[in-house]
Amino acid sequence: MSEFDIVNKSYPQIDGLNKATGKTEFVSDLVLPNMLYGRVLRSPYAHARIDHIDISKAKSLRGVKAVITYDDTPRIKFGPRSEDWTILADGKVRFYGDEVAAVAAVDEDIAEEALDLIKVEYTELPAVFDPVEAMKPDAPLVHENKENNLAAEFKIEAGDVDQDLKNSYFVYKDRFYTNQVYQAYLEPMGALASVDLSGRITLWTGTQIPNMMRITYAKALGISLDKLRVIVPDYGGGFGAKMENNVHLITIVLAQKAGQPVKLINTRFDDFVGGNPRVAMYIDIKLGVTKDGFITGKDVHIVGTNGARTVYAPVIVATACYRPDSLYRFKSVRAIGHTVYTNTVPTSCFRGFGNSQMTFVLESALDMIAEELNIDPAELRLKNGIGENEVSIHGWKITSNGLKDCVLLATKKANWNQKRKKRKFFRGIGLACCNHVSGNRAFAREFDGGAGIVRIGRDGNVTVYYGESDMGQGQKTVFAQIVAERLGVPLDIITVEQVDTDISPFGMGSFATRGTLMGGNGVLKAAEDAFKQLAAVAADMLQAPPDEVECKKGKFFLKSSPQKSVSFKEVAEMATFKRAGAPVVGVGFYKPPTELPDPKTKYGNISPAYPFGCHIAEVEVDPDTGQITVTDYVAANDIGRAINPMAVEGQIQGGVAQGLGWTLMENMALDDKGKLINPDFLDYVIPCVMDVPEIKPILVEPVDPEGPYGAKGIGEPALNPVMAAITNAIYNATGIRIKELPITAEKMLKKLKEMKNKIK
Amino acid sequence: MKIPLTITVNGERYDLEIKPNRTLLDLLREDLGLTGTKKGCGLGECGSCTVLLDGEPVKSCLILALQANGKEVLTIEGLGKGKPDPLQIAFVEKGAVQCGFCTPGMIMTAKALLNKNPQPNDLEIKEAIAGNLCRCTGYNKIVEAIKSCAASTKR
Ligand code: FES
Ligand code: FES
Repeated sequence: MSEFDIVNKSYPQIDGLNKATGKTEFVSDLVLPNMLYGRVLRSPYAHARIDHIDISKAKSLRGVKAVITYDDTPRIKFGPRSEDWTILADGKVRFYGDEVAAVAAVDEDIAEEALDLIKVEYTELPAVFDPVEAMKPDAPLVHENKENNLAAEFKIEAGDVDQDLKNSYFVYKDRFYTNQVYQAYLEPMGALASVDLSGRITLWTGTQIPNMMRITYAKALGISLDKLRVIVPDYGGGFGAKMENNVHLITIVLAQKAGQPVKLINTRFDDFVGGNPRVAMYIDIKLGVTKDGFITGKDVHIVGTNGARTVYAPVIVATACYRPDSLYRFKSVRAIGHTVYTNTVPTSCFRGFGNSQMTFVLESALDMIAEELNIDPAELRLKNGIGENEVSIHGWKITSNGLKDCVLLATKKANWNQKRKKRKFFRGIGLACCNHVSGNRAFAREFDGGAGIVRIGRDGNVTVYYGESDMGQGQKTVFAQIVAERLGVPLDIITVEQVDTDISPFGMGSFATRGTLMGGNGVLKAAEDAFKQLAAVAADMLQAPPDEVECKKGKFFLKSSPQKSVSFKEVAEMATFKRAGAPVVGVGFYKPPTELPDPKTKYGNISPAYPFGCHIAEVEVDPDTGQITVTDYVAANDIGRAINPMAVEGQIQGGVAQGLGWTLMENMALDDKGKLINPDFLDYVIPCVMDVPEIKPILVEPVDPEGPYGAKGIGEPALNPVMAAITNAIYNATGIRIKELPITAEKMLKKLKEMKNKIK
Repeated sequence: MKIPLTITVNGERYDLEIKPNRTLLDLLREDLGLTGTKKGCGLGECGSCTVLLDGEPVKSCLILALQANGKEVLTIEGLGKGKPDPLQIAFVEKGAVQCGFCTPGMIMTAKALLNKNPQPNDLEIKEAIAGNLCRCTGYNKIVEAIKSCAASTKR
């Protein structure tokens, strides 16, 4: 039997029934009195000068309450990482979909009609879409002041790579390409904004980083931080995308101008062309091994697409440069990453954050090396995998580590040994591993950690305030479980409040697979504080010293004589009486023992805990059509102790389905003018139920010393190994390795034909 | 120009005047305040707006409200009589709900299936919901949830 009452048990989401009955109000469902509807006019060109904008007709349309262009904005340059943003285009558009003007009207039809009435004269400029092309000396410049279109350069080096590669028995060299894909959350981005009489703004939006976004936006609006309040209602998925985006700021400026609340929700088209999709990367790798399969050195060069302004691409490219260096015992590593401006939609975070791109490359390379050395791919991983309590080449302190168990359990469940031996025509099985972080000290801007507030009122009900963001993954439920466990109360008396920057702790947000560990520790510490206050009251009531009392299942009792008890509710009531009505408020925080990486060497410990994983895919390739079907999938993930095993399984299955879509189906395709040609779900196809096999999760649960009740994160490592697991299986099935994602049926068929011709 | 419309939604009759280009989805969400039905694309490509029109699952973003004149609409809010439908409970308990944005449409589609075919097999379930996208769950638990309701009707 579990030593816990509430954690480490599968519970449905605490607000699940509200969602299933349609009661939950998502951002796009919110309505305020006098609310207007906003729409954005976007650039039809990838690169053009704006010669003239005429908004007079749009303004005079009945029902239109505000029309704005750059001149109506505060005209401040800003950006989360680089000040290359403006709210609405300043004389120039830099990508197909760039925001030019916006309207607010009494209904959506009128807003739409008003957009048609805005006349913009453009002069088209030469444009560049590919980051390698954009680095060439004669390439058009996306920003006049950014030489060679370089947004950022990242370098990292440890050990003597040249020497190690020279001394290697075999060096695998190749170039890979990971394409641009769209997060495709089901609720498009958007916001509701309202301005009060004092000019103070309230913004309701689905954001993964409410507090950091607020800082960026206050700067953009030229206001002090206290003039902006951000509230995060329930929202329909994020997967990395829902961070800073101009659509929110446009909503605010419209509301200011109209003097009425404005709701602006992207149409699906707007979301495709104006969202923040994954950073596409060219990745060159050299990977050396000894004769008996020990990895020596790794040399990498990455060129990544920034898009027309900087969201988070530079940090994502940097992550690709070095994160998997802490998966294996490398002797030496070196990487250079260039993040390059292009006249394409600004790129940003998508589950995996660069590690997924590089894991695809590294795990493909290892598969080729295993073949070259005639070593089983699983054995190769076990041989090189970093172990428990080891320090990686960049100084990451790996504590709990279930990598080895992941490989052993996954191979066993998938019947790996037998299936690898018995080859079947056009059927294959492939494996890939991954590591990740639970928080990223190098990304969090000012500090890392988490905090919480736990309030218990006279009625004995518990309200939890947190500062991260539940984008649907079930964070609120996990936090409720942690608090319930610590207080010793049933789950159903816990409410978790939406994040509101006026009330909630200053959380860094939901990214870097950090929510459970950072935010979870924050609310755990807060619950501890509340518990102590209540225990003192209970001790009085039970006439015993405070450390003699314990609480379980909603009852305080004496450890020595459990039959002497008093209910949690009675204690809460007494506490309120004794304190003249003051509720019990527990406040707590967690500061992780991380070390900010050295700016030059990048040596440091960026996360308090590191999750690992090993996935195995089985595929079937149709030789006549090239169609690839994933027939079976085993996903073993080291997640520390699972707070909610069912939620973890859901994360794994969702992550694998997303990886499957990326590997086989999804691609944002541009025409030769840089226009996205598939901005809808008919042409940009994401997996439907028919495309996804049964995904069998295996939870590997080494208790992590830093995690709340031993938990680590799962969001991103659920996806990281998928691309290589599938492509390695395709290689096993056909002997064909396609190094550019996605591997569509068309691409596969072409390669199959080429192979056939060769054999003839 | 506005046109009269008589429609029954979740058992309640409405006599309205609407713009002829109003979609059934916008009618439900904007005019009747029934925001349980979601708008994921507005183009008939995601299924999050699925409701039952005279018992048939339809993508309400593709239907003009006037096409529903004189008909009966069932939305997620009207499902279950006073208490949640077994499908709603199963979705929650089986972990088929993550962000929940696809959930109402998914449940309505599943409801139509079970109305017609109370004991569908796996393939029939999958075929029924093939037009409903979910980006969070990988569908495994959704199929499981629907299946669990099929089994319970059998008993
Ligand atoms: S909103 Fe109707 S199908 Fe997407
Ligand atoms: S639960 Fe989020 S889209 Fe299905």
